[in-house]
Amino acid sequence: MMNERLPIAEIWVYLSGSPLFALILTLATYQLGYTLYVKANRNPIVNPVAISVLLATFCIYAIDMPYQKYFEGAQFVHFLLGTATVALAVPIYRGCSSLKGKLVPMTLALLIGSAVSIGSAVGIASMLGAGDNIVGSMYAKSVTAPIAMGIAERIHVSPTLTAVFTVATGMLGAILAPFIMNFLRIKPWWIRGTAIGVGAHGLGITRAFSVNEEAGTYASMAMGLNGVLSAVLLPVVVNYLRS
Amino acid sequence: MINGLVQLLVWQGLGELVSILLLPNIPGPVLGLLFLLAFLLIKGEVNQPLGMVADSFRQHLGLLFVPASVGVILFLPDLKTHALAVTAALLISVVLTIATTALVLKFFAKRTHDE
Repeated sequence: MMNERLPIAEIWVYLSGSPLFALILTLATYQLGYTLYVKANRNPIVNPVAISVLLATFCIYAIDMPYQKYFEGAQFVHFLLGTATVALAVPIYRGCSSLKGKLVPMTLALLIGSAVSIGSAVGIASMLGAGDNIVGSMYAKSVTAPIAMGIAERIHVSPTLTAVFTVATGMLGAILAPFIMNFLRIKPWWIRGTAIGVGAHGLGITRAFSVNEEAGTYASMAMGLNGVLSAVLLPVVVNYLRS
Repeated sequence: MINGLVQLLVWQGLGELVSILLLPNIPGPVLGLLFLLAFLLIKGEVNQPLGMVADSFRQHLGLLFVPASVGVILFLPDLKTHALAVTAALLISVVLTIATTALVLKFFAKRTHDE
């Protein structure tokens, strides 16, 4: 009996010590989430990232694996965030031609939109007594996750909480945006797209593309520009506010 | 595919270098994004391998922030205590952000029509 069990235990020790386990866990749970998402007609409630995070978190909790250990393996996926950020230049470039004559209103809308996003989130969270960790992580939550986490490191707040709030914002925004637009009676696709790109970044874009091509292009542009502007301005503003 | 990935990694590397040496406030990948954008604007086109890799990154961007998000496990007690604050902040903020951005644009669109 013991002899039969031992090899399995040894294999388990080997597997959980190598990056393989964390990589499989990360990719397989995401794959599962993505399959469900496609099956649900890309409904934003069935978010593949949320599903993957829930399942992976549950798994490492169930087998009592420390997060640091998991991350040692999963960091190979994490590393590609920076590369993915650079790749955002492509959708921005593709949207550039539709920007003609709208650069000023779009930049102003992005700046005001971001200010409202940060002001309201940070204001409400600190008013309701959330700790420094949570309040700080609200700053970059409306920026696309890879850039948001870069900013989080620069302004010395938790990249993890920032990523979690960013994903939650994307889900909420993608679900609520159509209702908000209809309530405000906003019809032009480029305005609807831009607003969802600022408010709900990556997930908003997917939603926008599934409704209308023009809205999707503007959403991509808005997300990219918002990310770049926030990366440049946020550290300066936050350091000024703190000093 | 490898070709496109190499291009992205080189721009990222250049961005990291400039970030460390000259502009420590801006994340390296964001600088890499700006350099690549400038390059594309000068060239006037996206070469095919680059476009392919960029599209697959965009499609599965979400996968890349799973490892960091799983770290939420470390903050669960903190989040539980402040569940109301977190929910209220996220919910109200996202509604206000989308509404304000849309209204600002609507205001400008109306003005340019009137002129």
